[in-house]
Amino acid sequence: MIWVLIFSELVAFGLFLGAFVVARAIHPALFAAGQAALNLDLAGLNTVVLVTSGWVAARATKAARASERRASRRWLLGAMALGGLFIAIKLAEYAEEIGRGVGLETSPFFTLYFLLTGFHLLHVGLGIIILAVVCRRAETVGVETGAAFWHMVDLVWIVMFPVLYLVR
Amino acid sequence: MNLDRLDIAWLVLIGLALATIALPPLMPRPLLGNALLLALAALKGRRIALDFMDLRAAPAHWRGLVSAWILIVLLLAWLASAVVGLI
Repeated sequence: MIWVLIFSELVAFGLFLGAFVVARAIHPALFAAGQAALNLDLAGLNTVVLVTSGWVAARATKAARASERRASRRWLLGAMALGGLFIAIKLAEYAEEIGRGVGLETSPFFTLYFLLTGFHLLHVGLGIIILAVVCRRAETVGVETGAAFWHMVDLVWIVMFPVLYLVR
Repeated sequence: MNLDRLDIAWLVLIGLALATIALPPLMPRPLLGNALLLALAALKGRRIALDFMDLRAAPAHWRGLVSAWILIVLLLAWLASAVVGLI
């Protein structure tokens, strides 16, 4: 069942990203200017944070499969903490951008940028809640399910990051 | 110190992420640079799908669907940038 949800989410993000790249093809100069105003350092740092949280969640799954519930809980708490750090960095990035006068209606680039990254940020928050729920019992199936959702969030960011921040 | 498959996947992903960040200033030609950036993203996505999501052990259709999603989104991104570059 979780795979049906994961694939539905991937399709939604895929359509969103498809709309972004088509809009960029229509307004290349506008999108290049918008991209140049983004903070690549913070986004790059967030990539490292989220990839590391994926590794930590995968270790939680491995521990749960070995019936090491306490270890699995510790790994899950680590994944949630890194997820929280991702959110904090992203909010700092938003604050910096908004402080420079950039907003949802500044240009089509920023409308799609805020909607895409905001939609992804909501999934990071939802992923933390799911990990917190499965952390209570740390049973194998629950941890596998929570971690699978978390890896989907990680995968989406890995694809989204170069498309939004780097591709010219 | 023994590294297992998950540790190796994480180290590879960190290396690819750092390469992705460092690459753009070194690539004066966007068409080739974009292809390289998106190829790195495909490699990272495949690592996450196979090693973290554990799709190696999952039914082939789920593995195929996730791989197809990665390829379609990244290919579309490259094609759109290539069209702009060629116009």
